[in-house]
Amino acid sequence: MAQPIFAFRDVSVRFGATPILDKVGFDVAPEEFLCLVGPSGCGKTTLLRVAAGLIRPQEGRAEFEGRTVAEPTPELAIVFQDYSRALLPWRTVAGNVELALEARGAPRAGRAAEVKRLLGIIGLADHAQKFPLQLSGGMQQRVQIARALAQRPRILLMDEPFGSLDAMTRQALQDEIARLCKSERQTVVFVTHDLEEAIYLGDRVVALKANPGRVVEIVEIALPRPRDQLTTREHPRFLEYRHRLFGHLAKKEAE
Amino acid sequence: MTLRRLLLGLVFPVALLAAWEVSVRTGLLSEDVFSRISRIVPALLEGLADGTILARTYETLAAALFGWAIAAAIGIPLGLVLGLVRPLERLTLVTIEALRPVPSAALIPIVLLIFGFSLELDATVAAFACLWPVLIVTTGAVRGIEPRLLEVGRALGYGALARIWHFALPAALPGIAVGLRVAFGIAIVVAVTVEIAANPRGLGYAMITAQQSLRAEVMYAHLFWIGLVGWLINVAMIRAERHWLRWYWAARGAA
Amino acid sequence: MRAAWLAASVAFAAALVALWQVAADHGLVSRVFFPAPSRAFDFLGEWAASGELWGPLAGTIWRTLAGWLGATLLGVALGAAIASSAVTRDLFEPTVEFLRPMPSSAMIPPAILLLGLTDGMVVAVVVFGSIWPILLGAIHGFRSVEPRLMELARTLRMGRMHRLASIALPNALPEIFAGMRVSLAIALIITVVAEMLSSRPGLGQMILFAARNFRSAEIFAGVFLLGALGYLFNAVLERAERYFLRWRPAVGNG
Repeated sequence: MAQPIFAFRDVSVRFGATPILDKVGFDVAPEEFLCLVGPSGCGKTTLLRVAAGLIRPQEGRAEFEGRTVAEPTPELAIVFQDYSRALLPWRTVAGNVELALEARGAPRAGRAAEVKRLLGIIGLADHAQKFPLQLSGGMQQRVQIARALAQRPRILLMDEPFGSLDAMTRQALQDEIARLCKSERQTVVFVTHDLEEAIYLGDRVVALKANPGRVVEIVEIALPRPRDQLTTREHPRFLEYRHRLFGHLAKKEAE
Repeated sequence: MTLRRLLLGLVFPVALLAAWEVSVRTGLLSEDVFSRISRIVPALLEGLADGTILARTYETLAAALFGWAIAAAIGIPLGLVLGLVRPLERLTLVTIEALRPVPSAALIPIVLLIFGFSLELDATVAAFACLWPVLIVTTGAVRGIEPRLLEVGRALGYGALARIWHFALPAALPGIAVGLRVAFGIAIVVAVTVEIAANPRGLGYAMITAQQSLRAEVMYAHLFWIGLVGWLINVAMIRAERHWLRWYWAARGAA
Repeated sequence: MRAAWLAASVAFAAALVALWQVAADHGLVSRVFFPAPSRAFDFLGEWAASGELWGPLAGTIWRTLAGWLGATLLGVALGAAIASSAVTRDLFEPTVEFLRPMPSSAMIPPAILLLGLTDGMVVAVVVFGSIWPILLGAIHGFRSVEPRLMELARTLRMGRMHRLASIALPNALPEIFAGMRVSLAIALIITVVAEMLSSRPGLGQMILFAARNFRSAEIFAGVFLLGALGYLFNAVLERAERYFLRWRPAVGNG
């Protein structure tokens, strides 16, 4: 790869005596939609938090544009799975998104317009003045995504963002995030335990095994874009990738 | 409670007392107003030794206990009835909401007229202050009872009064117990307040007379003592409640 | 349905007052201790008309509110400071826990010694007497910030003040409001007691004076006013609370 925008170099993490991640290493290309998939307990959330600078690995490091990630930065925006706990319940939807602009020191004059634009592209324009607790799970997650985008991140880190949502909402958001990130040319590292979601969304899929977390395979996803919930999922190559990766996940689950 | 935390917790009080002593000795604080620790402690020990402090303590606690008992005797049955018979609760709502905000101290003059300077003055005002928490907690505890429990009682042929005694009361008891504990703390506070304001008995009176006769060390001695007694009683009640409730649940489980 | 019950409830309360009036008129209760409500209201009317009511009423109101506002500001600031680190918590929480059951009125005698029988004494006592519920609520509220939000603050590189204003304070606000409600009730009581002791012109002083002169109708008039004040303060505060906490999901009432 030409010049990876992000790289994990032999990242190892332990909680106390328990090894969570063991020498995990791979690159992320600019504008790439990279999916990280693995069974529960394989440390994928931990790896994402290392990428975000929230955790320091005991060994190895995460590199952002060649520099070691030592602490969190707005350029590495993280979208958490538990959206209701990651939003400010006392601020409106617009207020939550504006928080990122305030923190950045964006001039007051342009803020409202920027917030409006972001809410527009994520489909929340009509709900700008509502409070998070008045919204459904899917909408709350969209607010979080809008806020993450307001940070003008170089990389979007998403931690099983659609895990707590029902199937219909999940599919709608999958398509939206794919469309959005491709049109904004956003680099994404997307963590999920759902293999099909990973293949559906990703340009590449990194499969991890558990106990401790290690990379077992990296697969290039050569499926046409834009992806479609019906046709892409029935594409022969889709099934091929599924078979290839399913074995790893299932085998590692049994281990 | 680790040793470190225990020691850290003592740092501030000890430092405060030391600063108090030093400030008075160096004339920074007026000795007439603040006295000094080295005179307050002897005053406290003297008062304990000659029995006067203990006599005052007994007066205050007796009044608090009496008032608390009256509040319980009225508040618990009333709360049970209001909790079980919704229409009655709605009917009495305005009356209760009108009486509740009356500051308990405001009753001192009228009760003074009725009972004069006496135990009954302390106790009546304390009873008024305690009544509302007991009533509200009891009503709430009753409303929180699993409705099926009472249906079972009716199905088994228990009359209304018997249902209250055998089903409602035991189920609401833990909630009521908490309310009673809180109410007793209030009773002590109100008793002391009435003594400070008007009634010539108890620890409050000892404090205000010490102030009026400009014997600051006696006043502060009583202040510390009141704080100590209040804290000890609070701790004892929490322990007792925990212990008693454990026994209670064990006994009910076995029944 | 609700309006009907409200009307019935008001009627019930009115009936109780009417009963009292009848009992007093017919001498069924001692007129000395339980004067007819009509006499209390007559007195209230005269008192208002003569203009003498407003001084004491205003006095009680401003002392209570000034002390309570002071307690709120001080309590929130101290609470934020104490909650800010594990060290400060270990240093100060034990003391706060020890002082929690202390009767606030016990501050009055030392305050008289320090400040004399002045308005300043009354307000100071109200501040230090009513601060505890707010302080405790603030400490607890500031401590209970959702860890995700702290991580968000780190990621956004939010400044200290920004974090305090946007995350910590709004998070603590529900508990602070709960403390403020209790504090307001305590503040009113302490004001009344301090007025009784200091003879500063106020409702507390007025009802004690009336008791010394066996003028029970005046006492009841004063008690009525104090009850009305307590009710009004609480109603306004609850209204403010509902506004500031309007983001909370509606909780179903059983």
